[in-house]
Amino acid sequence: MSETTVFCARQVLTMDANMPQATHVAVRDGRILAVGDASCADPWGGGQLDTRFADAVIAPGFVEGHAHLMEGGLWRYTYVGFMDRLDPQGQRWPGVTRNEEVIARLREVATHEPTIGWGFDPIFISQARLNRDMLDQVSTERPVAVLFSSLHLMVCNTAALRSAGYLEAGDVEGLMRDAQGRPTGELREMAAMFPVLRRLGVDFRRLAAGPEVLRAYGASARRAGVTTATDLFSSLTAQDVDATLEVVQAPDFPIRLVPAVGVVDGDPVAIAREMAQMRQRSTSKLRMGAVKLMTDGSIQGFSARLQWPGYLGGVPNGMWNTPPEVLRGLIAGFHASGTPMHIHVNGNEASAVTLEALAHAMAGPGPRDHRHTLQHGQLMDEAQFRRAAALGVGVNLFANHIYYFGDQHVAHTVGLERAQRMNACRSALEAGVNLAIHSDAPVTPLAPLFTAWCAVQRQTASGRVLGQAQAITAAQALRAITLGAAWSLNMDHEVGSIEVGKRADMVVLQDNPLTVPPSAIKDIAVRATVLGGQVFEAGA
Amino acid sequence: MTPVPLLVVGGFLGAGKTTLIGHLLQHNQGMRLLVLVNDFGAINIDAQRIAQAGAQTIALTNGCVCCAMTGDLYYAVGDALARQPRPDAIVIEASGVAEPGRIAAVALAEPDLSYAGVVTMADAQGLPDLLRNSQLREQVQRQLQQADLIALSRTDVVDAAPVQRTLAQLTPAPVVAAPHGQLDVLPLLHALDVAPPSAHAMAEPAHGSVFAQWTAQCAQALPAKAVDAWLANLPPSVLRLKGWVTDDHGTREVQRVGQRLVQRRVDARSGSQLVAIGLAAQGFDAGAMQSAWMAWAAACPQTR
Repeated sequence: MSETTVFCARQVLTMDANMPQATHVAVRDGRILAVGDASCADPWGGGQLDTRFADAVIAPGFVEGHAHLMEGGLWRYTYVGFMDRLDPQGQRWPGVTRNEEVIARLREVATHEPTIGWGFDPIFISQARLNRDMLDQVSTERPVAVLFSSLHLMVCNTAALRSAGYLEAGDVEGLMRDAQGRPTGELREMAAMFPVLRRLGVDFRRLAAGPEVLRAYGASARRAGVTTATDLFSSLTAQDVDATLEVVQAPDFPIRLVPAVGVVDGDPVAIAREMAQMRQRSTSKLRMGAVKLMTDGSIQGFSARLQWPGYLGGVPNGMWNTPPEVLRGLIAGFHASGTPMHIHVNGNEASAVTLEALAHAMAGPGPRDHRHTLQHGQLMDEAQFRRAAALGVGVNLFANHIYYFGDQHVAHTVGLERAQRMNACRSALEAGVNLAIHSDAPVTPLAPLFTAWCAVQRQTASGRVLGQAQAITAAQALRAITLGAAWSLNMDHEVGSIEVGKRADMVVLQDNPLTVPPSAIKDIAVRATVLGGQVFEAGA
Repeated sequence: MTPVPLLVVGGFLGAGKTTLIGHLLQHNQGMRLLVLVNDFGAINIDAQRIAQAGAQTIALTNGCVCCAMTGDLYYAVGDALARQPRPDAIVIEASGVAEPGRIAAVALAEPDLSYAGVVTMADAQGLPDLLRNSQLREQVQRQLQQADLIALSRTDVVDAAPVQRTLAQLTPAPVVAAPHGQLDVLPLLHALDVAPPSAHAMAEPAHGSVFAQWTAQCAQALPAKAVDAWLANLPPSVLRLKGWVTDDHGTREVQRVGQRLVQRRVDARSGSQLVAIGLAAQGFDAGAMQSAWMAWAAACPQTR
């Protein structure tokens, strides 16, 4: 007979309404055998008691419904972001709040060339903008570059500028200069960044693929308490499946990986056929078959498509990455073939056009239980949530954005009224829409407890509360990072709650997110995760 | 190493980009072009002209290479520069929603590339509707405003005059008809040879039916302010201009593609030499340009 392990905890938060709390979970063959008290496994012949988490709180393993493999790749460079962040090895990198700290940290690691920092966010630093002269303090001979968290900007030292001929360059778009015409070291957008990146050997493509990146991503996710994570604009093809399976199926790979393949154009029927074939090759740890569609850009980049009255001050409306006509064709084709879609919509015109296209598609053939999910949905209002509910469409809102960009949105992009109802979790729930919340890592840190904290507190970086009316409870937030996200991946029958028969995917927390003061949710330590009954301790 | 010219072909979906690219691949006049396209399948390439076909790359018997764009565009350009042998020129088919000028900006930044311009294609029949569509208007306008040259397709089925009037309101860029997408853009990619010194400016024979070339030189140094004004007032029909000008502060290299002018100071040389390519159909007249130049140069006050 198979072995049974009975984990005991200070508390087990099950996310199962029939038994919200328990003290013991029995696991057999990687699944939940029983939930309850010390005797819960007795009808099954009992089991081996595991007491190492007796003083901790067990919850369903977190599900990160919108992140990217690049979170694993970027750690090969030095983190210089504002928030504390755990690397895949479990080392905590304190956030930097001053330019001097960036310089000091890069100096420490500047043992080989070139020296690259990532995750930098000047909006959180109240000093003068980081520039080449400051980075020359790291090295005057070796190239030094710092990538901003958006990856749309970077700052270089003099040696890096020189490598691309920028010291004597003429008129280059995105090469920023001071009042005297001297390059400051800042480069904006890829056209200007690429000549330096190329010479420094930084290849964004290699940061989002390969066994090393996969393993780092898995490690990064598990340290945040995640047991299922997406890669939501994957370039995975049928040819890559074997190599990916080799990494993901290994017993030491700590998460279930859900790639959604990025699609911007092409024939949806042919792509759907390929997705169906990949879906058939799915395993318990690699779940394929969904697609990710793009619509607009980002709100802080002024490239999201907004409805009237648009951006503050009459900044021109944003850009379609997929124009509405093409989007309608893709949505109709994918819906008819039963291919689940994750659709990027930031601005409210993008979400409106997408809902309209989904409604149109659903007038034709296709499954009722489709699990299509609007990703980001940052400016969706109540009417749009009602429409989503009517169509059975879920949302995965970008709660972290409130903290990171909330102040900017009030001052520069959309103004207070609309910023207050950005990422309107409360409206979504009240409309009856399935709610998930996400980090979009590496854009913001992969840490579901922080994401939950954002949705509960709605606190911006400056400390103001932005849109109290849209705050949700800790219980609702915990559901959004477990069952809610699992629903969007069509895995809610397998993971997302601790219920008999489901996979034994759990997170072990130092404290109870439902009873700590809401302001402390983000600070709860992750002690371990359990994937299919296998324990991964945080220190390991 | 000589920089590789980079040309970007932009335009909204259905504007005729693919046809133009297909035409270019067939009429490469011996140039080894590397063309980055969105979708192989859409480009009509005769099977007999394929030397080697891979999953992402098709090599043609005429030396051209066609690559499917997967993933990041800029890194695809980096791969193209790393190819052996190095292509003579790179042509990018921008996606139907891309801003072609943002892509072409890499040619101004990257020392291994030279900016050969943005050709934006527009469908003379469909454009009025697109410009009325509130969801697409700004995006289509930006694509047109970033063009150094606008090529109008389907001018054989509709009267292009109203569209041309609309375009004139949006951008000073010259507009040419390319009814079947068969516009010869090679003159934008050829290296411009600045003519060897001789006593007088001269007119050169036209490259093709659409383009005309003009070269000129001047022995004396010219006043810098007058040169600035002359460069700023070049007619929009001048698509490319290259050479050097010696003024009272020394010598500067000048290069203009479309509306973009790039200048930098170089070691002093004697005199000035320029070569320009323009659109004959848009009133670029090498003879007239020459007379104007000579009259202007003669009228310039002697600097020394």
